[in-house]
Amino acid sequence: MTPQEKIQQQIEQTLQSLDGVKRAQANPFLFTRIKARMNKKANGWEEGIFSFVSRPVIAVAILLLVMAVNGWALWGSDSGDTVGDTPNSFPELANEYNTVASVNNYDYENMTNE
Amino acid sequence: MINETELIEQLKQGDETAFKAIVEQWQDMVYNTILGIVQNETEAEDLAQDVFIKVFEKIGTFKGDSKFSTWLYRIATTTALDHLRSKKRKKRFGFLQSLTGSGGDEKEQIPDFNHPGVSLDNKERAAVLFKAIEALPENQKSAYMLHKLEGLSYRDVSEVLNTTVSAVESLMSRANQNLRKQLEEYYNKHYR
Repeated sequence: MTPQEKIQQQIEQTLQSLDGVKRAQANPFLFTRIKARMNKKANGWEEGIFSFVSRPVIAVAILLLVMAVNGWALWGSDSGDTVGDTPNSFPELANEYNTVASVNNYDYENMTNE
Repeated sequence: MINETELIEQLKQGDETAFKAIVEQWQDMVYNTILGIVQNETEAEDLAQDVFIKVFEKIGTFKGDSKFSTWLYRIATTTALDHLRSKKRKKRFGFLQSLTGSGGDEKEQIPDFNHPGVSLDNKERAAVLFKAIEALPENQKSAYMLHKLEGLSYRDVSEVLNTTVSAVESLMSRANQNLRKQLEEYYNKHYR
């Protein structure tokens, strides 16, 4: 038999090696595992959110975001006051707090004099 | 014993007992089909679970135009092939692959999958054959596995793959040609 014929023989035998193959058997606990996965999937969204948020990277990112929002809010309120709302003079300030018409020390003095 | 049609009707109502009966009746068939395609026992078990979860969720879409087993085979082959595609994508873009370059061909030549249903004296040859099957195009692989591992007729394979019997004959013929070619290369390299 020539080497080529031997190789052809090997090929034929290999192609026939699946003849009479038996069916592989699944894990006998397959149904239990399927049920467990389905239950996990059913409760999954709450657990999913919790596990997502509790991941260190996400937790740190959320913390930084909260700090950034706080910082921005503080900076925003400060700068807003100085630019727009600060009264430029005492009368304006008095106006703002409605003190022009109110009683003050001077009025008391006047009242006692009267 | 409840017949198939009744089981399916009960499953459509969400009956857990019917679902359990369906899983127990078809689990080996689904597992064996998937195992032949993915050639990995752990992955095949996970995918078999996926298939039955899909069955539970999609049973409402089963109209009964084909046999239930045909529908099941279809879900099993599609799930297995989708898994192989995603595995291939991950491998292609894998970090290690980019570090090591295109090397690794030598490792891929080693036949490493042993189907548990193959007799002991055929184990070695079957492992070589499975390695060659791994390289077949998807549709040839599905047709070959359904016919050889599950023992389906060409007609049944054509129903699962949603094609004609002559198309399956052609797929099988091309699969055999490709396998011969690969085995010839393998034995030229390894046979003494």
